[in-house]
Amino acid sequence: MIQSTDASTADDAFAADLLRGHTDTIVLGALRGGDKYGFEIYRDIRDATGGVHEIKEATLYATYRRLVRDGLVEAYWGDESQGGRRKYYRITDAGRAVYRRNVEAWVATRDVIDSLLRPEGRS
Amino acid sequence: MTTVHRLLDGAFSGVVLTPELQDLKEEMRANLLARVAELEAVGVPPAESARRAFDELGDVQALIETESGLGPDAGSPASASAPTSGPASAPTPRSAPARPAQSVAAAAQRNKVRPHPGFVVGVVLAGLLALGAATVLALTVAGVVTGAALPLCAAAGAALAAGWIVTTSLLQETSSNHPLPSGRALGYGLGSAAVVLGLALVASGLGLGDALVAWFVPAGVALVTGVVVLSWLGATQTNRKKAWVREIAAEQMAAGNRFEEDPDAAARFGVYTAVIWIVAFAAFLVLGFTAGWAWSWLAFVGGFALMMLVLARLLFGERKDQDRGSHRD
Repeated sequence: MIQSTDASTADDAFAADLLRGHTDTIVLGALRGGDKYGFEIYRDIRDATGGVHEIKEATLYATYRRLVRDGLVEAYWGDESQGGRRKYYRITDAGRAVYRRNVEAWVATRDVIDSLLRPEGRS
Repeated sequence: MTTVHRLLDGAFSGVVLTPELQDLKEEMRANLLARVAELEAVGVPPAESARRAFDELGDVQALIETESGLGPDAGSPASASAPTSGPASAPTPRSAPARPAQSVAAAAQRNKVRPHPGFVVGVVLAGLLALGAATVLALTVAGVVTGAALPLCAAAGAALAAGWIVTTSLLQETSSNHPLPSGRALGYGLGSAAVVLGLALVASGLGLGDALVAWFVPAGVALVTGVVVLSWLGATQTNRKKAWVREIAAEQMAAGNRFEEDPDAAARFGVYTAVIWIVAFAAFLVLGFTAGWAWSWLAFVGGFALMMLVLARLLFGERKDQDRGSHRD
């Protein structure tokens, strides 16, 4: 188990691994409230972790493409007249269903891990 | 600002810009510009902010390799985890997975979802209610039922049954579909109920024959409301198919591309079609003058059936020209 006094880098790696393992679900979650383009999704994730952790944008680009291929999100180009055109993502009904299922699975797993990794000194 | 463009060009240099890569590059450009704007807003100098935004991206080269089909995991995880029941497959291009036909059935079996018993019981009960309501409405139209109360109950019952069946069906996860979000499912249910209510009221009004306005005005309101709700839901509907269904559909689309890959087959099909319809027309005339015009249309049915057989043969049959090299399927 990771001691909190050990090294903060070990904590970081642990948390970053966990985050990365749920990238698809995190992106789906970020899109639930409305359509977003890549940087908005990235910023939402970064800000949600208080800027401590981030999922690299290169990872996110691969995720978007996988989600589009599986029909969980739809992509469309915005109509910005200035600068680069932004590619927006919209969650589909399939995406919402998968999101719900993944969150349920996460809650169940979290409970198991919570009971297995109980901090010392507590029963 | 220009440095972002230059950095992007640098990252994408040396690879063939497929439409997919071009798309990725443009998407990255807009996102980089947004990040640069964010950095500049907190006082980072332009040149440095471009460099920082680019460095923050992560492993761009790996991403580009993956997207151009060179990387190790070019396929989707879904297709990578799907067991390949065929012989150890030779390396295939990423968009054309060679998959034997029986694995479609295997995929359907693997992803099978059984309906909930409660859902089945509910739909059967609603079906019985709908049947009863339809009987009453039919009797009303036939003029057997005279009072207004019974048709009114029947209309309400039919609407309730339709709404119930539509809503609960859409909320079900099936083998090929994800369940619809509950709000939208309820919307479809209410829309269907309104349309059924409207139609039932029109039927009742026609059957009873009196006080038409009292029946037709609410019927019209219900119908219009239902149609508007259903149209809006239909226009905003997004994908709800599961990933494995989309994969199989994409493969079947590829099978239909044979005419594109094989112009000879397309030309043959054109000639065959012309011959079939000329013969069918001749047979139509012959039959018309001999057996009588009542039977002559059978010639066209026969011609259509023959054309579909030829189409199936050309699209899915064995290829005779395999020795020409490229063994595509």
